[in-house]
Amino acid sequence: MKHVFVFDPDKCCACSACMMGCMDQNDTDLSGGGRCYRQTFDSEIERDGGVYCAYLSAACMHCADAPCIDACPVGCLSKDPETGFTVYDNTNCIGCKSCALACPFGAPRYRRDGGKMVKCDGCNIRVKNGLQPACVRACSFGALTCMTEEDYAADGSGKACSALIDALTLRRK
Amino acid sequence: MTELEAKIKAKIPGADTGIEVRRSLCAICSPSHHCGVDCYVKDGAIVRVEGTQEHPYNHGKLCTKGSSLRNYVYRADRIKTPLRRVGERGEGAFEPISWDEAYRVIAEKLNTVKEQYSPHAVAFFSGYCKWYRPVFQRFAHVFGSVNFGSDDSTCSAAKAIGDRVTAGSGAGPDMAHANTFLGWNYDGYYSAHLSVQGVQKLKARGGKVIIIDIRDTPAAKNLADRFLQINPGTDGALALGMAKLIIDNGWADLDYVEKYTHGFTEYKALCGQYPLDKVSEITGLKGEDIYEAAKLYATNGPACINYSASALVHHINGFNSHRAVLCLSALTGNFDRAGGNVPNPATYLHKPAGFRTREQEFRTNRYPGGQKRIGAERFPLWDAQFNEFQAMDLLRQLETGDPYPVKAVFALGMNAKMFPQTDRLLEAMKEKLDFFVDTDVFMTTTAQYADIVLPACTSVERGELKAYQGGYLTFTKPVIRPLYESRSDVDILCDLARVMDLDDGLLKQGYKACADWIIEGCGLTVSELEKSEFPVKVPAARWPAVPGKTLENGFKTATGKFEFCATAIADIDPKYGLDPLPSYRDSLEDQNDPQTRQDYPFYLCTGARLPHAIHSRAHETPWLRSLRPFPTCEVNPQDAGRLGLKEGGDVELYSPYGSIRVKVKLTHKIKPGVILMLHGYTEANVNLLIGRDHLDPYSGFPGFKGMRCNIRTVQEG
Repeated sequence: MKHVFVFDPDKCCACSACMMGCMDQNDTDLSGGGRCYRQTFDSEIERDGGVYCAYLSAACMHCADAPCIDACPVGCLSKDPETGFTVYDNTNCIGCKSCALACPFGAPRYRRDGGKMVKCDGCNIRVKNGLQPACVRACSFGALTCMTEEDYAADGSGKACSALIDALTLRRK
Repeated sequence: MTELEAKIKAKIPGADTGIEVRRSLCAICSPSHHCGVDCYVKDGAIVRVEGTQEHPYNHGKLCTKGSSLRNYVYRADRIKTPLRRVGERGEGAFEPISWDEAYRVIAEKLNTVKEQYSPHAVAFFSGYCKWYRPVFQRFAHVFGSVNFGSDDSTCSAAKAIGDRVTAGSGAGPDMAHANTFLGWNYDGYYSAHLSVQGVQKLKARGGKVIIIDIRDTPAAKNLADRFLQINPGTDGALALGMAKLIIDNGWADLDYVEKYTHGFTEYKALCGQYPLDKVSEITGLKGEDIYEAAKLYATNGPACINYSASALVHHINGFNSHRAVLCLSALTGNFDRAGGNVPNPATYLHKPAGFRTREQEFRTNRYPGGQKRIGAERFPLWDAQFNEFQAMDLLRQLETGDPYPVKAVFALGMNAKMFPQTDRLLEAMKEKLDFFVDTDVFMTTTAQYADIVLPACTSVERGELKAYQGGYLTFTKPVIRPLYESRSDVDILCDLARVMDLDDGLLKQGYKACADWIIEGCGLTVSELEKSEFPVKVPAARWPAVPGKTLENGFKTATGKFEFCATAIADIDPKYGLDPLPSYRDSLEDQNDPQTRQDYPFYLCTGARLPHAIHSRAHETPWLRSLRPFPTCEVNPQDAGRLGLKEGGDVELYSPYGSIRVKVKLTHKIKPGVILMLHGYTEANVNLLIGRDHLDPYSGFPGFKGMRCNIRTVQEG
């Protein structure tokens, strides 16, 4: 069953609990140079003489047509046929960063030791075992959810992460 | 990687992976929360933490801090063994000693002070967390000292006293039945994550939300139908102005006022002094916005109000500001009405759970008397209404020995950074104390001044009694063994009671015996609670609270009514100048002389909540710290432009009392002239800037959220 990350900017507050859940799941070692796969944004956008507040949470969008997959010269990246997540096996990674250049969202990260690529894999194995992705599990406000493609289509919210930029609704201050 | 290896790496619980889910609670933040957690444990270590889905309080949800619990538990600055100081106080040089040796020294030193001076010369002080306090307070009293104090001297107690002298009790918002929610200083997203859903539901069924805050918060963006961005410290004036509008426009519930309240004539006269144009001038709000908010709250009922534990009462005018807001509830007939604010007394440790425990008796039935508590002379209303010493007078009494010397401090989790002019307190403790023992999870600035330091464990390494909304009670079990040589705070206290041979069978029997005594009569015992990994429904519990009981049986005040004009304040000696009415004063009235205004033109508000921090206790947790790596003040871009301050630049923030170096963040979320600074940083403790006497005379609470300051750029290096 293919899965979709859904983000509702009207429920987010950039509290970053999603990041904590992600780092807990992935044993992120910040002192060793590790970085969280997910990032939150507490942004103020000045436009038309007003200021708009935007609260966002973003990681790998798991694009349907993921450019990172084609960009990788050694075939590290692929689509999991079951979940649809963009997953990887970095055994052969040469650290060329082509995937990062191809990614419009800056999702790939590189280990300080050895320079191998790591990224959000949608908590692929958790999802296959009936659990939610760690970031979704940590969100208290319903801003970040993960649902099957069928449920997403039925839901009609149109707030899939890959449609995030378009769906951004900014309220005038 | 085999499939099993991949499952272990992904931390999937099961017999095959050897990962077991064990239940506990998170105690990083205030005990009015403490969410249930699932700890994924492998080989005796926690590998992952999630909220417990089956938990009746948090239903699987955790906040930012709770989601970092594993990182908090395994922090590098955990205290590993009991320590004895070998250098100067404050130097941080210690040697490890055994528990037996630590207990022997503590017993000897405390008894020496008791014999040389008096038992009251030992001040017992508790910082966070509050869970062990019943045992600690009883310990202090059995030892013979009247002086048990805690961070309640600056946290939520002022609100509780304001509630008590006005209405006889506090009253929470009945969100499920309200049509309008007046979120006064409400930002649940940052400080009460579980409350947001209630507001979302109210909106979904067509209810209206008013948010009043000095900061444009996520609640203002996501929830507010009306957002009033008020000048800081002026909430009392707004509440009185709204009351005048409500009275003048005939929106008041005069039948309710007639039947259930006391002092309306005087209150009405007070409100009469706050016409709309004046209130607009003070608060910086448009008259029409104030009018519409007052109308919505008063006419689209039932309407409930959020009362913040600290946002208002951390001003030197805060006690009466809170009361002024509270009075709106009675004026509109919303107090103790469905959909309004409904009294629901705490069952245990600030948590209402619909049944009675003997917590208060346990804490106070061995009160020794025979001496005035610290702060009693200076803060008589506090002393009359709260059974702890007012710690904001500790520094003065240490320095002067008036009315009697304080020579020892026995502390659990004491945080000197909580005290205005922290450096002065630490200096006085260094010079004046014969003995100081502190217990903490982590090595803190304060612990470095102690003669003996004891290592405490965290919530997941111990068992504890906890009540929850809905009529639940639990006694948790440790999910891992205590790290290093750390012990549970209550075990330390009960061990010491035995070593010191204190005259109290309960303490000497241990924590579980104490807990059983406290909950006797509820229909369950500790050993029965321990059989369940989840909170258990208490047979005696009546939940939810039924509105109207107070109206029917009378308010627990001198007149039996809701007191706009509080008898308990009128009873205080007039020489203290306390007003029984919720009158308004300027929140900077002690710093408004022309020179101070000119030298310190900014309004400093400290401690406005951010999701990754709670006081000082989360700052050194690496995952949380990564969200804001440097102590940072927030400044409006208009001010920054005028002063040449740049995003991320280094600045000095200073007041007549002290200065700190921090980074700058520019934000439109606060008004020009206001500076926000999060508290609790060791390297940039903003409470150095708060004057030691900048206190609310009603409660003794410091004006943490209203202080004059100035800002200037500093060069690198």
